[in-house]
Amino acid sequence: MTDTATAPEHEDAGEPTNPARAGKREVWGVYWAFSIFYTALTVGICLLGRATPPPRPDVTALQAAAWFDKHETGIQVGFVFLLLIAGGAAISNGIIGYFMMRMSSGKMLAYAYIAAMGVGAVPGFQLLLVCWLTATFRPDRSPDLLYLLYDLGMLSYNGSLGCFTAAYTVMAIAIFYDRNRIFPKWFAYVTVWQIVTELLASQMWLYHSGAFAWNGMITLYIAIVIFGLWIVCLLALLRGAAARETADTPALYEPEGTR
Amino acid sequence: MTTAPPPARRRLPGDVDMWVMILGDLFFFGCYFVTYMVFRALSAEEFAAAQRHLNVGIGVANTVVLLTSSLFAALAVLAVREDAWRKARGLLLAAGACGALFTVIKVYEWYAKIGEGHTIEDEFFSFYYVLTGVHLVHVLLGLLVLGIGVRELRASGRRRPTIVEQSVLLWHMIDLLWVVIFALLYLMG
Repeated sequence: MTDTATAPEHEDAGEPTNPARAGKREVWGVYWAFSIFYTALTVGICLLGRATPPPRPDVTALQAAAWFDKHETGIQVGFVFLLLIAGGAAISNGIIGYFMMRMSSGKMLAYAYIAAMGVGAVPGFQLLLVCWLTATFRPDRSPDLLYLLYDLGMLSYNGSLGCFTAAYTVMAIAIFYDRNRIFPKWFAYVTVWQIVTELLASQMWLYHSGAFAWNGMITLYIAIVIFGLWIVCLLALLRGAAARETADTPALYEPEGTR
Repeated sequence: MTTAPPPARRRLPGDVDMWVMILGDLFFFGCYFVTYMVFRALSAEEFAAAQRHLNVGIGVANTVVLLTSSLFAALAVLAVREDAWRKARGLLLAAGACGALFTVIKVYEWYAKIGEGHTIEDEFFSFYYVLTGVHLVHVLLGLLVLGIGVRELRASGRRRPTIVEQSVLLWHMIDLLWVVIFALLYLMG
């Protein structure tokens, strides 16, 4: 698979050619993988795993154990499925990195984005799955241990936002400096909101209730609205960027360097 | 037969991207303000008691500093439109200096309040630190954008009025947000 298509060597004069999407099937494939992964993530995390909207942070150990017991099936089905497709996070980072490399702001920011999102996925996604699956597959453990897994899963999932903040920062900088207009500048501003809300959400470690706890209006619900807006805009922009790629789009690398 | 003169071309100050930022930011800050009002209504007496520990004088000082800053920024846009680049650059620098002064006063106020024991243990002060903190992040972002405007007006700069307009638009929004925050946190009885 190559980064871009090469122009056909033999073209019959006068015969109409349709270069649209030629050689870019991998871009479209990854785009749809991204879309399907985020849809699956929403179903697995929200509808089955019950991590969003989250359970209460101000419960006792026995209440936490009872909560795991009540939602055992949903957590197991949703999170085992997400564990199986967890690599979709890397694929999603790949297509964003690909288009960031097309920006005139340089490839270094794309590498930084991919790395920051990759590191952030461990506490921000994988650890939640592992903690809550452990709790539901080992229900015979003491309520105190289950309580720890309950807290650890949620705080890791919603409170470990530094890597994502770094990723959004480099993305915003890349868009601001880009002269190829891969993504519009307004999306950089939407990304700035993401940075601010992620910083705000990190204080959920300090609270057990109220607007700033992990189920708080400011740290969770407003942040989720902004994240939802960001991801919808990103999907639409990636779709547009993928549609603009043709056989004439220059390669990212010299052929000698890629073979 | 006379023909009507062509209608004046309507021009949006700054650019559409910056307006997306401004309108969206106002919306999300509005969400924070509504959340604060709801929580305040739920614990009206506790919030009023904690609010008395804020120094209104410092709040007024910061408001005057930011309003003065906005005045300098608005005058800078007028100067740019009159091709007075050097004057516009000086005015933008003055606006930025006021923003830096605002930051210093705000940090001093936080330092004093924490020293007096008013921490996030109190719900009102949780909101106080969050609202003023998010606003301060915006002030720092605004200073960065004002700096881009100043760079644009250098002798070797491209001197595009739209860049200066964008930075000043953002700065005005930051000023507006502070006025609302000041009213909500310091004045609302």
